[in-house]
Amino acid sequence: MSVPRRVLVPAAAAAAALATLASLAVLADASPLEALRALALGSLGSRAAIGETLLRSTGIVLTAAGACLALRAGVLNIGLEGQFLAGAAAAAAVGPALAGMPLVARAAILLAAALAGALWVLPAAVLAAKRNVPEVLSTILLNLIAATAAGGLVRGALRDPAGDYPQSRALPDAVRLEPLFSGGRATAAVLVALLAVAVLAVLIAATPLGLKLRAVGLAPAAARAIGLADGRLKVLAFAGSGALAGLAGGLEVLGVTGRLYDPFAAGVGYTGLAAALLGQAQPVASAFAGLFFAALGAGSSAMQRDTGVPAALAALVPGVLVLAVLAARARAGRSGS
Amino acid sequence: MGAASVADNLALLDRNAPLVESARARHARVARLAEAFGLELGGPDDRVDTLPVGTRQRIEIAGALAGEPDVLILDEPTAVLSPDETAALFAALRKQADAGAAIVLITHRLAEVFSGADRLTLLARGKTVKQCLISETTAAEIGGLLIAGSGAEETEKEEREEEKIFLEGEEGREPFEGRRGDARRPGATRPSKNAARSAAGVAANNLEVRNFRAAGTPPKQELLSFSLSPGELLVLLAIDGNGADAIASAVAGLTPFTGEVRVGRAALPSSGDPLAFRAAGGAFVPADRREEGLVLDLDLAENLALPDPPGRFFLDRAAMQTHALERIVAFAVRAPSPSTRAGALSGGNQQKLVLARELARSPRLVVAVHPTRGLDLAASAAVRARLAEACAAGASVLVVTSDPDEAFDYRGGVRVVTRGALSGEVAGGTPPAALGRLMAGLGA
Repeated sequence: MSVPRRVLVPAAAAAAALATLASLAVLADASPLEALRALALGSLGSRAAIGETLLRSTGIVLTAAGACLALRAGVLNIGLEGQFLAGAAAAAAVGPALAGMPLVARAAILLAAALAGALWVLPAAVLAAKRNVPEVLSTILLNLIAATAAGGLVRGALRDPAGDYPQSRALPDAVRLEPLFSGGRATAAVLVALLAVAVLAVLIAATPLGLKLRAVGLAPAAARAIGLADGRLKVLAFAGSGALAGLAGGLEVLGVTGRLYDPFAAGVGYTGLAAALLGQAQPVASAFAGLFFAALGAGSSAMQRDTGVPAALAALVPGVLVLAVLAARARAGRSGS
Repeated sequence: MGAASVADNLALLDRNAPLVESARARHARVARLAEAFGLELGGPDDRVDTLPVGTRQRIEIAGALAGEPDVLILDEPTAVLSPDETAALFAALRKQADAGAAIVLITHRLAEVFSGADRLTLLARGKTVKQCLISETTAAEIGGLLIAGSGAEETEKEEREEEKIFLEGEEGREPFEGRRGDARRPGATRPSKNAARSAAGVAANNLEVRNFRAAGTPPKQELLSFSLSPGELLVLLAIDGNGADAIASAVAGLTPFTGEVRVGRAALPSSGDPLAFRAAGGAFVPADRREEGLVLDLDLAENLALPDPPGRFFLDRAAMQTHALERIVAFAVRAPSPSTRAGALSGGNQQKLVLARELARSPRLVVAVHPTRGLDLAASAAVRARLAEACAAGASVLVVTSDPDEAFDYRGGVRVVTRGALSGEVAGGTPPAALGRLMAGLGA
């Protein structure tokens, strides 16, 4: 019974959310069916549309993976947005200086980005482990600091002297990622993201470390009594979570923007967290949720252009969906299933 | 409120306090209440979270009494009070009851019942065992009933129920002069019979506890010292709430303590470190197997593989499966397969699973808290047999139980814990009434 239900609830919620979105289109004097059609075509209807969806999915899927890792170990990392920014800033800082072998440069950029993301979550992880500071507060505050710091960097240390806007110097063209297929903007970044999801899924399900992390997340008191280093495992999960979000930021610079500017992240970390909640902290399911949200984002731009229904309406969907799924799960928990 | 001063906390707790009050009046209240109830409340400007837990509890009690309530319910108010303060508290309660208040006191401690109450209701495992006036009964009778209650057949549903005594003060009844005052505490810590041997060589004992006090017990608590040699089994027999559980969890590294605990040669850090306890060869069977013993949402094989699952990069599922099957058979865990969720097992089988895991590593020391609570007779006997086997293999075993019959079934030493103090060894033939008085802190 439990397996169908796990699929059924999110699927039903997604369908309901789409139906709601379509009926809201009436408010914008558009036909609901037209709006849905524009949404579908804009996200999956052409090479360009698919490229756009995959492009948007990279950051969401990776931050969702980061959120999964944290959730499975019983910690809530709301700071994915900040860690994404830290990763992007690190990529923008080291990237322009790297020329020569593009593969080495790319690896160095992504490594720096992941490291920066992990470092950015570390204060919250250590404070939670040593001083019981709630990570929900500390990670969200680190988001604000990251946004301000990124704004400062593109106006100060990282500013491109040649440009008029507050933005960093561009990565060399040879280092930036090429489009994956002609006619679309998607790059190999999305493949990196999907590979990371696969690795994470295996890590959680099939390694000794994954089993320990799950035990800590499922039953913290038992894990401690059994003799697991619960504090250290949680810090590790935090760091891994931050590294995935940082990697997402690095790929955004490497594959999409080529540089850092302000504002940069625009909520990708929060959407990733929503995808992980919708995917019930399962890496693969969360990746599908992330792809769905990315398609929604790409499609809603097309919907606005073609039917005049504001794209902002589609931005409601992730929030409504997550609330619906959480409510369904709480209900299931109460009825003891 | 931890971040506020004593004066402010008492002003909030006192329901007779005016809406607006000067700092001076709030200060005066602290002195007045401390005087009136004989309780040490700390300085008026002290922040409450800087004070010891006992003082905090006294502030709460003083605040509750200050409002002169018509009905007052106190749940184990004396857990952190010294004997003098307990006596003062009972004097104050008596005064309020005489002034017309109805007071309900919930306590585990028989001595308190006979130090000023009018009526009592004895509860055991959720059922009322006796209701009577204090003048119609004796401590020995209640002690005997208490024991009968805790020795009664337990069922899984009732496993979380604890015996409690309800003690009621009633309007208009005459005070029991001369009955208050604390009971004599039995069993001041004696030097353990192994003390001489352990002085000669520390490594001779699997467990060495010296000048020990578990965190959260009153500061005036006597310091404990005892030791267990290889093959020795010691049962700590206590009514819940007397600190036997606290001793066990502190030894197992789950809570902090003061003093010295050695498992084998290793001294455990006093901040509490379950990993150090395990590394020294300790095994722990917690009282709450569902919360602390097992990860209910993992399957049997996974539970048995913790805390060190086999495999270098990937989990060695085959090894886990083999190990699980072997443990399941050896410990007669009734389960469909190793991939059954631990949460799906019955209580007895969950407990066998915990033992199967804990005894797998041939521990030097096994600490087992209420290991048979909630189990049927057969399962209880199986658990005892397993612990005896560990003993025979050279381990030391420390058992905590609240059931006197059970205590002697282990065929090891039995010592009674009352208010955190350890009695000498109790002989096997001790009559239930005497045992009850000992456990209730009334002296032998």
